[in-house]
Amino acid sequence: MKTIAGEGVPVEVLLVEDSPGDVRLTQEAFRETNRSIHLHVASDGVEAMAFLRNQGEYAHAPRPDLILLDLNVPKLDGREVLAQTKMDDNLKSIPTIVLTTSDADADVLESYRLQANCYLNKPVQLDEFESVVKSISDFWLRKVMLPQRR
Amino acid sequence: MLSHKNFALAELGNTAQRNAEVSNSDQFSFRRWATINRYRRELCPRITKGATTLDEIPPGVRTTGLTTMSSLNWKIQLAFGTAIFTLLVVGAVSYRVMVESSENGRLVRHTHEVLESIHDLRFDMESIGSSSREFAFTGKDSYLESFRANQLKIKQDQTAFGGLTADNPAQQRQLPALDGLINRAIQRAELVIGLRRSQGMAAPVAAIQSEPDERITIEFQALADKLQREELRLLALRDAETKGRLRQSETILIFGTLLGSLIAGAAGWSAQHESTARGLAKGALRDSEERYRMLLDGVQDYAIFMLNPQGRVVSWSAGAGRVKGYTAEQIIGHDFSCFFPPEEIQRGRPKEVLRLAAANGRYEACTVRVRKDGSQFLAGVTCTALRDQAGNLRGFSEISRDLSESKESEAKYRGLLEAAPDAMVVVDQGGDIVLLNVQAEKQFGYRRDELLGQKVKNIIPEGFAERLIADGIRTAAEALAQQIGTGIELYGLRKDGTEFPIEIMLSPLESAEGILVTAAIRDISVRKAAEKYLAQMEARYRGLLEAAPDAMVVVNQSGEIVLLNVQAEKQFGYRRDELVGEMVKEIIPEGFAERLVADALRSPEDALAQQIGTGIELYGRRKDGSGFPIEIMLSPLESAEGILVTAAIRDITARKTAEAHLVRKVEELNRSNQELERFAYIASHDLQEPLRMVASYTQLLSRRYKGKLDSDADEFIAFAVDGASRMQRLIKDLLAYSRVGTKGKDLLDVSSEDALRQALINLRGAIEESGALVTHDFLPTVLADETQLVQLFQNLIGNAIKYQKPGVPRVHISASNDGDNRWTFSVQDNGLGIESQYFEKIFGVFQRLHKRDEFAGTGIGLAICKKIVERHGGSISVESRIGEGSTFRFALTGRERKS
Repeated sequence: MKTIAGEGVPVEVLLVEDSPGDVRLTQEAFRETNRSIHLHVASDGVEAMAFLRNQGEYAHAPRPDLILLDLNVPKLDGREVLAQTKMDDNLKSIPTIVLTTSDADADVLESYRLQANCYLNKPVQLDEFESVVKSISDFWLRKVMLPQRR
Repeated sequence: MLSHKNFALAELGNTAQRNAEVSNSDQFSFRRWATINRYRRELCPRITKGATTLDEIPPGVRTTGLTTMSSLNWKIQLAFGTAIFTLLVVGAVSYRVMVESSENGRLVRHTHEVLESIHDLRFDMESIGSSSREFAFTGKDSYLESFRANQLKIKQDQTAFGGLTADNPAQQRQLPALDGLINRAIQRAELVIGLRRSQGMAAPVAAIQSEPDERITIEFQALADKLQREELRLLALRDAETKGRLRQSETILIFGTLLGSLIAGAAGWSAQHESTARGLAKGALRDSEERYRMLLDGVQDYAIFMLNPQGRVVSWSAGAGRVKGYTAEQIIGHDFSCFFPPEEIQRGRPKEVLRLAAANGRYEACTVRVRKDGSQFLAGVTCTALRDQAGNLRGFSEISRDLSESKESEAKYRGLLEAAPDAMVVVDQGGDIVLLNVQAEKQFGYRRDELLGQKVKNIIPEGFAERLIADGIRTAAEALAQQIGTGIELYGLRKDGTEFPIEIMLSPLESAEGILVTAAIRDISVRKAAEKYLAQMEARYRGLLEAAPDAMVVVNQSGEIVLLNVQAEKQFGYRRDELVGEMVKEIIPEGFAERLVADALRSPEDALAQQIGTGIELYGRRKDGSGFPIEIMLSPLESAEGILVTAAIRDITARKTAEAHLVRKVEELNRSNQELERFAYIASHDLQEPLRMVASYTQLLSRRYKGKLDSDADEFIAFAVDGASRMQRLIKDLLAYSRVGTKGKDLLDVSSEDALRQALINLRGAIEESGALVTHDFLPTVLADETQLVQLFQNLIGNAIKYQKPGVPRVHISASNDGDNRWTFSVQDNGLGIESQYFEKIFGVFQRLHKRDEFAGTGIGLAICKKIVERHGGSISVESRIGEGSTFRFALTGRERKS
């Protein structure tokens, strides 16, 4: 069954981000998009994996439709999370967007190599940041067809 | 005598030529002169003495012949004699044998005859008996007739027997007995017959049966046997005699033959031996003759031939053939008068010549002779009488020389003498100059006639005599060797009294006038000057060597140290005498030879270039065994002893330490630079994060609460937002600045045009907005980091557009080649311009000349440009005039040279 855009089923998004400031910003930015989004936050890689695998306290966590991943998170860093997610048969179909401060070519290349669906550099300016989040929403949550939730 | 003089001249010429050669080359030969002299001495009778004697003929030839002859003859005779004798003996003995044999045969035959005669007698007797008996029995007349016949026969036979045995007295003695018996037998038979004839048969039968018949028979038989025996005995005896004589003959024969053979053999062998020896002697004689013939024929220029006492030619040399035109076959046996011109023959000159020669021992003349073809020529003739030991004239030897030839050669030799490059002077035993050439005239400044007859002391005051002695003592080779170098210092004295150093080469010459000395004189003033100069240079060189600040060591081809200076002594800790003669390996254990090779291979420039820097690591070893790093510069040096190598040795310990120190420092510097860069990078990168928070939230605040708070709050928030933004920009720029180093890529060939184009694309917005005109000339390919080159252009052009007065901004980019693969780029604008006191400052980090509200920007742009340019190995500068515009210049290296 297709996910219908607009009202209806809220989109589950997992945000892997350790900076509360950035988390709040992201939330605010998504609020601007008028999309029904449930934003889940994992503040480090381990938590992220637990969430994705429905382990521990996340046993009943929903499966995200989209993952926003910051590369520089503590414990298990974003790259690892990306690698593990994309190697896991269950999880690899979830679109994963790297949204990170680093614009280093090495990071970009590695992320794509690890099968990230796309790479976005977190803009320093607020309005630009909001623009990026809107783009994500427009593209990934409206235009793009996401795999059906199980 | 003219001939001698010519000869002497010939030799002068030879000497001249020879000395010319000697002066210039390594040949120095007396040989030709000596050979001819030897010919003269050995072949020909002594010209200065009288007649020759047979003593001069090699003794071997003379003696061997005679003795061999007689002894050989004797031996042959002996052999022959013996052979003939043997033959005779054999013949005689054979004859004897033959005779004996025939005698023997005769005897045998005789004996057989006698035996047969006896047999006949026996038969006859028997016949008589039987016939008488038959008659007695039968009475037939036939028997009577046969009896009569028998009677006759027996008588005949008896006579025969007697004849046969006439030579045998023993047998003769038996004859009467025989006769008696025969008679008795006949009587008996007669009786019987008579009885029969008279009485009939019975009586003879009785008579026959009576004893006397038988007795006769028996007696007769006995006698016959005896006779027979006797005869046989005689035969055997004679046979034995004969046989004995035969054997004797045999023995004599054999013995004689053997002896004869032996003697013949001995004689023959001896004769053979003698013959061989004679043959060898003959051979030796032939060889000897051959040699002399060769010697003789080797002399081409002289006619040498022998005459018999009557003047007929008996021997002829090849030279004679050449001079006179006759071959040996043509002339031998002929009278030598055919060599004389007809008028002289008429006058009887030939005979007179012989007479004079015989009388005086020899005859010499310079006279006309005639060749075979009739042409006449002037000849130098020497005719010498040859006598044997007894003083008997055996013949004449004649030597002639065609003077017309030698006149030509004389001219040639004179020419040679004249043409000799050195001064040639001929001096006689009295020390007077007898001959000189034009060079001698020139060198000494005299005219020829002024010098002829002068003492040689006048031109060579000292040393001539000593030199002569010296040259007499030394071999040619030594003389030559000493020509180069010191020798006896001699000086020549010119007519004007000036002296000049000379070198002389002397060669003695035998002539009729005594010993002449030919001197080749060479002016060696140039050479002496050169030597002096060389000595000076050497002294200077030595001085230079000593004064050199580096250790200098000169090494010869075998690797031995031949020279060193005081610095070398100091550096290596040896005394000079300790090092001279030692192998250079002692002080430079390794690498000298390799270095030598390397230096030989490289050009001086390369060698110099490599002197600074790596090169071959060499170590010097001091006397105490300690080593120290050295650098050597080698240069070859040609000398009389071969190629020497001068090595300048520099102790580079200090430099090496400094280098090591430098390397360390550079490493440290690099390390700290890198750390700084990383630090800057990390710093700016990590600062981004909190800054983003501040900036974002202040903006959010501003957005959400603008107008909701009081105006102060608005203002405060505005300042906060502004501050944060600026900080963000600053950090971004700082990051960019630090990335010039950290993110810099290797320099590659980059098209600066392409880079410019990219920069202009990046500035598209600004260009459109300002309506700027950007132009450029040809821009070359340069060695650069492409990204950074783009950045460079972007910053400069961006500035050019930004810092403008009202109007159309114009920017022009060009590049000019500085040569040596450097390009200087110019970015020229018509902007505001820059005051000169800020030309340096503007390139500083975050340095601005304008207020924030006038122009945006953090002031990092030019600092980044500077860093980029410096990273590319160049420098950036600005020219500007206020109000007119600025030109920024920077240099880059051109495309990488392919070597």
